[in-house]
Amino acid sequence: MKRDWRASLRYYWNVKVLGNAYLRWQRWKMERKGPPRKWRTDILAPPLKIGARTKELISRHYLEGRYANGHKPVAWVTSGAPVEILQALGYYVLYPENHGALCGARKVSVEIASEAENAGYSRDICSYARTDIGAMLSGKTPVGKLPKPDLLFACTNICQTVLFWYRVLAEHFKVPLIVIDTPFVYTSPEEHSIEYVKKQLENAVPIAEEVAGKKLDYKKLKQVMRYSRMAADLWLQVMERGKNRPAPISVFDQFIHMAPIVEMRGKPETVDFYAAMLKEVDERIEKGIGAVRNEQRRLLWDNLPIWYKLRELSEYLAERGVAVVASTYTMAWGELAPLIDPEKPFESMARTYIQPILNVGTGKKLEKMKKMIEEFQLDGAILHSDRSCKPYSIGQVDQRNRLIRDYGVPALLLEADHNDPRAYAEEQARARLDAFIEMLY
Amino acid sequence: MGKIAAIGIDVGSTTAKIVGVDEKGEFIWSYIEPAHPRVEDQVDRFLKKLEEENGPIDGIPIVATGYGRNLVHQATRKVTEITCHALGVFRQLGHGGTLIDIGGQDSKVIIIGPSGEVVDFAMNDKCAAGTGRFLENTAGRLMVKLDEMGQLALSSEEEVPISSTCTVFAESEIISMIAHGVRVEPILKGLHRSLVKRVVAMVRSVGLVPPLMLSGGVVKNPAIRKMIEEETGQKVIMPDHPQFMGAYGAALIALRGSRRK
Amino acid sequence: MLDVPGRKSVCNEFKEGGGRVAAVMPIHYPRELIRAFGVLPIEVWGPPGMDISYSAAHLQPYVCSMVHNMLAFLKTGGLDCADYIIVPHACDSLQGLGSLLVDFVKPPHPVFPLYMPRGKRPEDVEFFASEFRKLYDWLSSLTGKKPSKDQLMESILREEKADETLARFYDFRTEMSLSVRDFYRVLRTRQYLPAEEFVSFVERVMDEYAGDPPDGVPVIMSGIVPEPMDVLDEIQNLGGLVVDDDFACCGRRVYPAGKSDDPFIRMAERILYGPPDVTRGDLIEERFEHLMEKVKKSGAAGIIFYTVKFCEPELFDLPDMRRRLKEAGIPSVHVEVDINDPLSHQTITRIGAFLEVLV
Repeated sequence: MKRDWRASLRYYWNVKVLGNAYLRWQRWKMERKGPPRKWRTDILAPPLKIGARTKELISRHYLEGRYANGHKPVAWVTSGAPVEILQALGYYVLYPENHGALCGARKVSVEIASEAENAGYSRDICSYARTDIGAMLSGKTPVGKLPKPDLLFACTNICQTVLFWYRVLAEHFKVPLIVIDTPFVYTSPEEHSIEYVKKQLENAVPIAEEVAGKKLDYKKLKQVMRYSRMAADLWLQVMERGKNRPAPISVFDQFIHMAPIVEMRGKPETVDFYAAMLKEVDERIEKGIGAVRNEQRRLLWDNLPIWYKLRELSEYLAERGVAVVASTYTMAWGELAPLIDPEKPFESMARTYIQPILNVGTGKKLEKMKKMIEEFQLDGAILHSDRSCKPYSIGQVDQRNRLIRDYGVPALLLEADHNDPRAYAEEQARARLDAFIEMLY
Repeated sequence: MGKIAAIGIDVGSTTAKIVGVDEKGEFIWSYIEPAHPRVEDQVDRFLKKLEEENGPIDGIPIVATGYGRNLVHQATRKVTEITCHALGVFRQLGHGGTLIDIGGQDSKVIIIGPSGEVVDFAMNDKCAAGTGRFLENTAGRLMVKLDEMGQLALSSEEEVPISSTCTVFAESEIISMIAHGVRVEPILKGLHRSLVKRVVAMVRSVGLVPPLMLSGGVVKNPAIRKMIEEETGQKVIMPDHPQFMGAYGAALIALRGSRRK
Repeated sequence: MLDVPGRKSVCNEFKEGGGRVAAVMPIHYPRELIRAFGVLPIEVWGPPGMDISYSAAHLQPYVCSMVHNMLAFLKTGGLDCADYIIVPHACDSLQGLGSLLVDFVKPPHPVFPLYMPRGKRPEDVEFFASEFRKLYDWLSSLTGKKPSKDQLMESILREEKADETLARFYDFRTEMSLSVRDFYRVLRTRQYLPAEEFVSFVERVMDEYAGDPPDGVPVIMSGIVPEPMDVLDEIQNLGGLVVDDDFACCGRRVYPAGKSDDPFIRMAERILYGPPDVTRGDLIEERFEHLMEKVKKSGAAGIIFYTVKFCEPELFDLPDMRRRLKEAGIPSVHVEVDINDPLSHQTITRIGAFLEVLV
């Protein structure tokens, strides 16, 4: 990666000076404002105050990206990748999945994905990938400008699709692609699999070093891992507060505030962020504030969010006294925190990154869902049958049937897509949700 | 009128067409009927009618195209409707370009080369939502006459976007809108827009080579043509006898084949 | 039509001879290892034309028809002849199938999910070899046998000979009078005939059918499986001739001989260094160059990409593959099928129109 002093100058001026100041001022303004006009304060608690900080962090992240090329090495990374190595090497790290989710939430994913579809990419491939490839081909994005990658870093622990997707990116960007292949854990993690992942991580270092133009500082790596672990621990605690009745935050809050743990894992500000969030959540518990004002039934959400319907679904359910308080999806970035061991970076990264819920068998996932239902005292589960996410969705038919049959837990299979609103049938979804909610009462 | 030197038969899913050309390849005779399940009988009747009006047809080459082409035993050769449409339109208009054909059951985009040959093509042949069927279904539900749909759609200033891609879901969406008091005309406009956008996406996927041409049953719908022009920024040319382009191309191929001998 | 032994009869015959059978799902797995235990691997590629109401009880509609059919086949007794089930890993759907079998469907057969590394690096070869050692232990516990290193090598050499015969059969196709469909019926016996029987069968066919190949516009097919096999007849009817292929079940599995004298490493090498396969993570560029070599060698005029609906590995590759081919002056067409539907008019028209373009 060629460093350009002019790019660095632009970076410092636009990000560190202007950007930081502007975003700080924006946060100050937002912290003093009440909830937005459209907020349903009759059925929902006001939005978390930490939201201003979330917005600042994420905006700054994308602002940095806008000016990163030429100043820092840039890597495009999958959401489950062992990003600590890249953080320690000073990479700017971009998550196409997160960008895709942002496009979905801002309701521009169809426009951007259509660019990919017009170039021949089938609508049967993952909607995140279509959004990302569409953004790459057209340059369209709601965040200003995405930096070009110097390195691509894909880990198959969330799906095999990323392997195919990142090969397309490699074809277009013509930069090195590092694949960390994490063997699927059908029953329990095996030593030869962990060894394999460890070797791949070790062998990834020289490639990442070469692109970055510097050597990995192992002390820095340990520090990054320490921050990673601390943030993941705090995030886990935030989610576990959902066990309270009423739950102080809902999964819809979690979907929004998970961005730092995914995108900025390993940075000190992420630790501070979740510490502050935990504090605010605890204050809510003290005051007896529930995310849903009239919480009468509590649900589990399985699979990815429906990004373009977050507010609508949250309000629809809250109107009916239903709070969704736990999710297997957000839990994935917290539950493995105890496995991260900064003293044994490569070994613990291998062990941690091979075990997220998406890389573990369908039976284990059912056990986890059942455990969450018990611990969070849940009345039912919504399983989002996401047509874009086969590894998460395959198994749901059996999981749903067994929740109902073996554990007496009402469960709904809701067919949709996490990022493509064209795959969401409004009337049909409502009919199903209504029938399901009736079963809860 | 010249003597018929070659015959083309296009057995589509909704209509069956027959065209006769003279030895110069000029379009001199044609006939159309709704498609009959007993294809061979229908073709026999067509040929009899042609004989009655034009004289005996023994030894005249016949090429068949369209959905039911394999059942036309009277034909010496069968060629796909893609190749036939391309040749027919090319001969009719005198140039190549991008041809859009929106039929009852499928839609096609064909890039026609400088000699009327097919350079590239794309078909939407699996999903009703990109075809005339999409409009037909909804016309039925909204109790609007199919041949009035286009005018009604254009008569509205307002346009209500339809977000569902699937015909079935779109129906639900539309019913829900009507129930909420939305007027029929803006909905129709949105419906046409939806169809056209899908077709234009297909055009983009093969790459638009001007000029843009339109054929197929849907040609009679003024909203489709106008919207294609809006979405692509290109003027749309339509050949005469747009429904007969397939049969015409087939006749030309028959003529070509007989000349080679 | 040529007389070709069928899967079911081969299975029954082998069992009557006292052997055991392992039903193996797609795509890559070590035949030699399984045979060394006296177990015959018989592959399950669908089969086409199943009633998926049996699999719909476990799998959503957006899972491809191949995986649906494998499950439906199991549930309707299709695998009753087999003693074991092995599910290799190639994509998210096969991963899901393996997991479903282990955790929920729980067939009477012992099930072994086999992971495949995505790469050709030394660590990939080592890992694959370890997976095979794990498979060795599993087969050992089930059969009570413990093949020695020499016995493993013997089995490897036998499979290498069969693959070499397969390669020769491919090369010889322009000197045989076989129809395209019969060529593939013979070729696909590699999926179930014991290696040595495959060799003698193919050599006999090459002898008996030496002659002029059928006429037609030469095309190459690329995808997962040539199902429904009617498509091969249709292509011939429409004036085309399939002269080579890049199918996952056929052309992508003409494995080279290995080099190592460690049997497990050798088995891993054979698969990982085989023809490019998107499911193994090989780059688009590699697949493109491989196809161009095939085009040059066979004189093909175009490529038919023939995929099963919902197949993500193929769908990601296609736009860039087709773009590169277009730039290289090679026309291509994409046809998507559901292996439970008969060949549709639309599919035939698409292929027919494409062949008309090539003429």
